[in-house]
Amino acid sequence: MFNNINTMKMRKVKYIYWAGVLMLTLFAVQPASAQKADKNSPASLELLKAKSLWFNTTNGAGLTLDEMYNFSSVDFTYQLKSGDFKKLQDGDRERLLGVSTEGGQKLGTGYAWGKFSFNNEMQRNTQFNTTMLDPGRGMPFYPVDPNISDWKKQDYRLEMKVASQPLWERVILGIQGEYFASTGAKQVDPRSETYFYTINIKPALVALFNNHAVGVNFVYENLVQESGTTNSNSQINHDVYVMKGLGNYYPSVVGGLQSLGRFVYNGNKVGAAVQYSYGFSDIKFLLEGKYDYGVEDVISTPTKPKKEGSVVRELMDARLIVVKNCDNVSRLEISYSNRSTDGIEHVQVLDNTYEVQQWVDLYSSVRSTYNQEDISARLDFFRGADHDYKWKAGLFTNYRSNDEDYIMPHSRMIIKNMYFGADAKANIALGGETKLLAGAGFTYKNNFDGSYHYRGADPGSIIITQFMTPDFEFLKQSYYKIGGELSLYSGLGKMSKAGFYLKAALDYYKPIEGDNSRVQTNIGLGFIF
Amino acid sequence: MSDMKNRYKIILIAVLAMFSAVSCQQFSDVSKIGEVESLNAVVSVSLNLGSAPMPDALNVKMINYSERYEVNTTMNPNGTVTIPDIIPGIYTITVTSEKSQDGFTYNYSGNVVNVDIVTNNKQITVNVGASKSGALVFKEVYYCGSRTPTGGSYFRDQFYEIYNNSETVQNVRNLSIAMIAPMTATANKPVWPATEDPSLFVYALQIWSVPNDKDYPLNPGESIIIAQMADDHQKSNLNPTSPVNLLSAEFETLVNTTSLIQDNPAINMVMSFWPSPTPQWLTTVFGGAFVIYYPNEPINPANFVTPVGLTTRHYRIPIEDVVDALELVGNATQVQLKRMPAVLDAGAATVGGTYLSVSVARKVKETVDGGRAILFDTNNSSEDFEVMNPPVIRRYGAVAPSWNTWK
Repeated sequence: MFNNINTMKMRKVKYIYWAGVLMLTLFAVQPASAQKADKNSPASLELLKAKSLWFNTTNGAGLTLDEMYNFSSVDFTYQLKSGDFKKLQDGDRERLLGVSTEGGQKLGTGYAWGKFSFNNEMQRNTQFNTTMLDPGRGMPFYPVDPNISDWKKQDYRLEMKVASQPLWERVILGIQGEYFASTGAKQVDPRSETYFYTINIKPALVALFNNHAVGVNFVYENLVQESGTTNSNSQINHDVYVMKGLGNYYPSVVGGLQSLGRFVYNGNKVGAAVQYSYGFSDIKFLLEGKYDYGVEDVISTPTKPKKEGSVVRELMDARLIVVKNCDNVSRLEISYSNRSTDGIEHVQVLDNTYEVQQWVDLYSSVRSTYNQEDISARLDFFRGADHDYKWKAGLFTNYRSNDEDYIMPHSRMIIKNMYFGADAKANIALGGETKLLAGAGFTYKNNFDGSYHYRGADPGSIIITQFMTPDFEFLKQSYYKIGGELSLYSGLGKMSKAGFYLKAALDYYKPIEGDNSRVQTNIGLGFIF
Repeated sequence: MSDMKNRYKIILIAVLAMFSAVSCQQFSDVSKIGEVESLNAVVSVSLNLGSAPMPDALNVKMINYSERYEVNTTMNPNGTVTIPDIIPGIYTITVTSEKSQDGFTYNYSGNVVNVDIVTNNKQITVNVGASKSGALVFKEVYYCGSRTPTGGSYFRDQFYEIYNNSETVQNVRNLSIAMIAPMTATANKPVWPATEDPSLFVYALQIWSVPNDKDYPLNPGESIIIAQMADDHQKSNLNPTSPVNLLSAEFETLVNTTSLIQDNPAINMVMSFWPSPTPQWLTTVFGGAFVIYYPNEPINPANFVTPVGLTTRHYRIPIEDVVDALELVGNATQVQLKRMPAVLDAGAATVGGTYLSVSVARKVKETVDGGRAILFDTNNSSEDFEVMNPPVIRRYGAVAPSWNTWK
């Protein structure tokens, strides 16, 4: 039954994949006659997006106001991560192969944008993650095991935004959507196969009043994850621990008559955002406020569903973006966000009546809460504000506070970090149609508070001593990151705006204390039209 | 123009209505859920002591197995006790005590299992009975099997040791050992036909009996070993890494001899009830539930019963005939999935896994004259048993009976 469902899902993913390829290929082959004469390059696209206030919101209708030009790109990425400065659930080594295409197209005075990406990933030597494709996605209910294992994953992501032309010179309608499908398999017993997808749509409108624009958009998102566990060696059963938050768990086993059942996650989210923008002289600013509310239920053994838990997520987000666009471009973004998640657990009994045989809820309560607060600011300066920039420099800071509670028996984890960083890029003409984009960046993470107190049933278990405590120590470590990148760009013919680039980037992470480190290397090839 | 406006309105309303409908039920389900709050429970007892003396005090233990949370307190036998700081959930409440008087040791026990405590000040009454310590008890059971040198699983070395824990000679003639349904701990309990009160019985999947051909006396401090296969399991053709040599076992459950299974010196048990025989008496390595009892009439396999809606055959054993009971489960959390009636075993023992080469054995309460061990027997396997590594037959100085000439 489930194999059939999964086959159908995979088939659906393939259809969507080919639809995405077709759509973006159409963008990619748009006639050169419709373009401005300026060459599109990585730097020009970066500047275009930085200047576009509405592009960076959840309101697709606002795209029309950004007056973006046509562009298309195809990118191939090969990424390697290695090193032991990591969470246990990350791989010692991780290899990712990715391809993505992106394009924006004027539709009269309206605009359409789309992006498709595909990633294939191999993680070596992960631990304490039996079923989750993304164990950091804010879901406390999932099984873990101590066996060191590889993971193979791949994902597809389709995104689109479409904005109408102004109707009656007063209203712009738009819609934004995203489909993400991912699948993966753990490679060592207890092994798992997991399927995950989300789809969201955001209908939007913008009302215009002279230089003022007021926007509103709604959000609906549906999420499904299914994971099944098994052993290739049926002679050996494996202990697993079903996590409930902050190190609390119940023990289970994969294999045999009482093997852990299939886990199914089903979530829905609704939300809304309002935007206001105003432009005067060469300055434009945009204010955005956003609220999302979502519920995700986790059940095991879908043929006789038992609730493993539920989460309720709330997101409040506010942002101010100011862009000054004259000879040069200056951009300031200040944001605040508050994400809170409640972990709900259920007390259930099995109604064992022969005709019924189902789990019945007796009591449900919020057993754990997770709160993350972010305050961030970023200032960028682009020298030269035409189609391309000559150089750019940026400063940023981010305060992040995580406060997690398991209410009864009471456990708590607090981590407060401050990030500071600076980066710069120079766009150096090498003659002819060739340019070198050279960049460097530095980030420093300062942890100024961190504590983890577990008061659950089993402080001596490996979940606490070998999983939660080492991960907490990692999360509260101060570190610095030094990075650099080089992109060599060259045009393709004098009459065309197309070009291609080769890119190499390297980031080096080093904690302030300890000998650990982590290196991330990116090599890329891209075509821009 | 106004047509177009209306069309946009309709589309917008339809989209919003669709969002609301899809999410509405899920959102409404969680909308009234608040933060967990600790609860109080009020426990009282109903005493049915027969001729036993009144206990001085009662120990009350509340265990929430899924939370691995335990609360202990004491209470006056004639009163009630309010237990605070309870996490809402499903609890097993056990009331026990012990008293020595007139040369006897009396055990007081009672429990209620799978009690939901989700409202404040819930009233819980536990029926407490009294009994003198049992004569024959399960002393050690090795059920989980072992690993072979190549990592395979080996389960032919299971054994069940039964011990005379009393002061008087016992006769194990026709003593029967039964495995109780369902085979493994599960929430899916069979539903029994209500022709007679189902709570008065346990239901056996298989029953083996000591031959009814002669007396098999067992002196105080002596034990018998019932082996699945009474062989030296450490032989090269069996499992050199097995922890046990069972050649000295008194009884074995010999079935359909193959090249591996041979008739050993041990006396062969009688297959009294076994609807679906297999080439060995393999009890589940996840932990079965067992009783020993003396049948009050010859076991007739034709007198089987089947659960409602199923055709599997079971044999009904009156609870009042049971001499001792032991519930075994796969891990500590599964204690809440108990099969055995609480009156027989208020808890459950476990080794916490499979093929671990470990056993569960009854704890020693005291050692009396001559070094004879008196074992705990509170009818609560969670309390009475502990995990032993490695399994050992006749530990604590238990002696083989004199009629075992091959020991």
